[in-house]
Amino acid sequence: MSTEQVLRFLITNHENLLLAPLYGDLRSIFCVYLSCFQDDDILAATFQLFSKALQDICDIADGSLALNSQAGEMYQNSRVEFIDVSLLKLMHEKINSLGGERIKRRDFDTGHHLTGSHLERMLCILNQDANENKSENILLRKLQKLLSTCPGSIQLAKEREQHISKTVGYIPICTNEKHKALLATIVPTSAHELGSIPGFKLSQAKVNCPGLIDCLQRKKHFIPNIKPHTDISLGDCSYLDTCHKLNSCRYTHYLQYIPENLCKTISAETKLANKLNENQKNYPFYTHGNCCSNFVKQDLPEQWIQCDVRKFDFTVLGKFSAVIADPAWNIHMNLPYGTCNDNELLELPFETLQDEGILFLWVTGRAIEMGKEFLTKWGYIVLHEISWVKTNQLSRTIVTGRTGHWLNHSKEHLLVGLKGNPIWLNRKIDTDIIVSATRETSRKPDELYGLIERLVGPHARKLEFFGRHHNLRPGWFTIGNQLPGVCIHELDVKKRYEQFLAKPERAHKHS
Amino acid sequence: MAVSGQQDQDIVQINENKRVKHVRFKPTKEIQQNDYSNHYIHTGVLPHQHITNTESPVVGYPKLQKLLALKEDQIKQYATNPFGCKVEIDQMVPTINHWIRDEQLTFDVVMIGCLTDNQFIYPLLTQLALDRLVSKPGFLFIWASAQKINELNRLLNNETWAKKFRRSEELVFVPIDKNSPFYPGLEQDDNSIVDKMQWHCWMCITGTVRRSTDGHLIHCNIDTDLGFEKKDTRVGAVPSHLYRVVENFSTSTKRLHIIPARTGFEKPVRPRPGWVVMSPDILLNNFSPKRYKQEISVIGCNVPLKNEIENLRPKSPIQKV
Repeated sequence: MSTEQVLRFLITNHENLLLAPLYGDLRSIFCVYLSCFQDDDILAATFQLFSKALQDICDIADGSLALNSQAGEMYQNSRVEFIDVSLLKLMHEKINSLGGERIKRRDFDTGHHLTGSHLERMLCILNQDANENKSENILLRKLQKLLSTCPGSIQLAKEREQHISKTVGYIPICTNEKHKALLATIVPTSAHELGSIPGFKLSQAKVNCPGLIDCLQRKKHFIPNIKPHTDISLGDCSYLDTCHKLNSCRYTHYLQYIPENLCKTISAETKLANKLNENQKNYPFYTHGNCCSNFVKQDLPEQWIQCDVRKFDFTVLGKFSAVIADPAWNIHMNLPYGTCNDNELLELPFETLQDEGILFLWVTGRAIEMGKEFLTKWGYIVLHEISWVKTNQLSRTIVTGRTGHWLNHSKEHLLVGLKGNPIWLNRKIDTDIIVSATRETSRKPDELYGLIERLVGPHARKLEFFGRHHNLRPGWFTIGNQLPGVCIHELDVKKRYEQFLAKPERAHKHS
Repeated sequence: MAVSGQQDQDIVQINENKRVKHVRFKPTKEIQQNDYSNHYIHTGVLPHQHITNTESPVVGYPKLQKLLALKEDQIKQYATNPFGCKVEIDQMVPTINHWIRDEQLTFDVVMIGCLTDNQFIYPLLTQLALDRLVSKPGFLFIWASAQKINELNRLLNNETWAKKFRRSEELVFVPIDKNSPFYPGLEQDDNSIVDKMQWHCWMCITGTVRRSTDGHLIHCNIDTDLGFEKKDTRVGAVPSHLYRVVENFSTSTKRLHIIPARTGFEKPVRPRPGWVVMSPDILLNNFSPKRYKQEISVIGCNVPLKNEIENLRPKSPIQKV
């Protein structure tokens, strides 16, 4: 390698060396240099020599190259920041006129060892802390880190929730097919109920299937409820435990098997864990999104008003942090509660319920777009679509039973609307997937309440619209036409409600 | 030594037997339900990881399993060669316009988009003569992030659009966890109040099809509107699940997939038999309208009816006259 060669290389390539993707990175420039020259001379080129040549150029034509390293030292991570081509060209001309003899260097024997092939050395250069120092990599990594950083508020809120929220008993489900088959033979069933396992069968089973006993004590099992009319080859019933024809349905049904003991252990453990949390909860220092008397304040009991929402004065209720609405969309067939058609729904003064906050709207099918439209008209932006993944008794998604028109429906949609800029929300504690078993027609999963309570804090005012009896819940205000009368604990609401009832025009309407 | 070892073992055996006898295995009568959202808060295990049939969705339903296997075989049998059409994003509309105008090429199934952020779906939808590209009846599937789908709402709800393409289902695809290549990471904006885990798809129908009478065109209720990433789902722009739902639904053999996005090396776009895939990053570039039309003329425009499948597939209840 001659300095002249390096010089020529710099002159021909000066523009590209400073641009993407090289950005003047010395090591990258060296790699390009290696790939440009194929003669024998190059075989002996090392980075050291290359940098030496550059150094020489710098020394001879002062100011032709500007490096980012201090004191002109050249390292692998140095970067060329500027190349003055005219100076380099001048130097090149000079060398040529001198025959290049005096400047040409031959220090092949200055201590370096020739190892490996051309390619190997190139790879070697590329491998060396490749991600460490390249400027573009540094930028990329910084950007990536910035984007993936989870704000402290989210982490803290998550952690706090973990420590103060109540644990609910959890029993995993055994998915071992062998266990299922074995239990089917040893657990006696009668009249769709399970009996105790006879002792001798248990010891037998223990020999046949070593892990079974342990599994029984930790997990929930589902045991096929085989009847004389059951035809195993047909497979599982689409409805399983909700099947109305248990005594004639030929498909397989299952019974839940949890030893009483396991239930007791789990509930004891849960109680203990909750008690521990209870004791700790005086001390979380992170208070964002909570009211200042969070742990002293008593939880409000459930409240409700039975009314026809179309004739109700919404201002009676006051303002809420979170609202759930599960309207009976008109596009659906007859459902077991009173109807309020889609236009009437849009006319409801929803905008009075919240100054800022979130609204959860259950939608299905064509109502998805309509729901989005309504939210926008009420002054919300559509923020999310939470999916409720509907599961059956065996914790499987529902895949059969013609539940949708074109495809089967395994999920339902919950639109989330945001109004204003509620900085008091505890964001991203949950995900946008709720997994929960189906219950009666149109009954929604209770997991949603937990999700919302975590989001807005335990003492925030929460309203459920079009609620039914099973929707009543401490901390929540429920409105609907199928509720059992009226129950109000908040004094201001009570007063306004009485005023509303006393209004003359209303009395007139009723008479 | 050996004897005493044997004895020790026996004692352990007896003790275990005793323990077994002491543990009561009387089943409880209460129905226990887990709250997976609560469990997630305390353990970090995502709710959908408790679902027991993500790996084999139709477990327990032998009829459905058989149907799906038969469908798969038949679809494979009536599939064109995999075609790739490597086109820059800004050349997509001109290319397709050329197909429509000069080659009289139409498709019955058009899928747009894939599971990646930064897709140019809106410009594509507004510039493309979709109603001329998609034959009637035809089916349109648009895959994007939930946010993007929401933004498209206005376009797809405007009257001229809504008249041509009726929105019929909303499909969802869920990655297995937050480390999945399908996790919509960039989707998480500051406004989000929950962690986003989903990709959405709008399924639109153009023209008229009836579930009860058009069994030669569509097979309804075979798949569901929800898909999960499985252990064997290959990394890529499009998990095969997305294609399979479409193939099972429409019997058409003329399927086009347009990916108006750069997906890069991490999410390769793979060719698929029976599909023409148009993308700037597809690995294959072998599409020619002439050859395609010739292949279609050999295999036909629809997968033919097959008695076995007809007997097994879910059908509308027959109306009593």
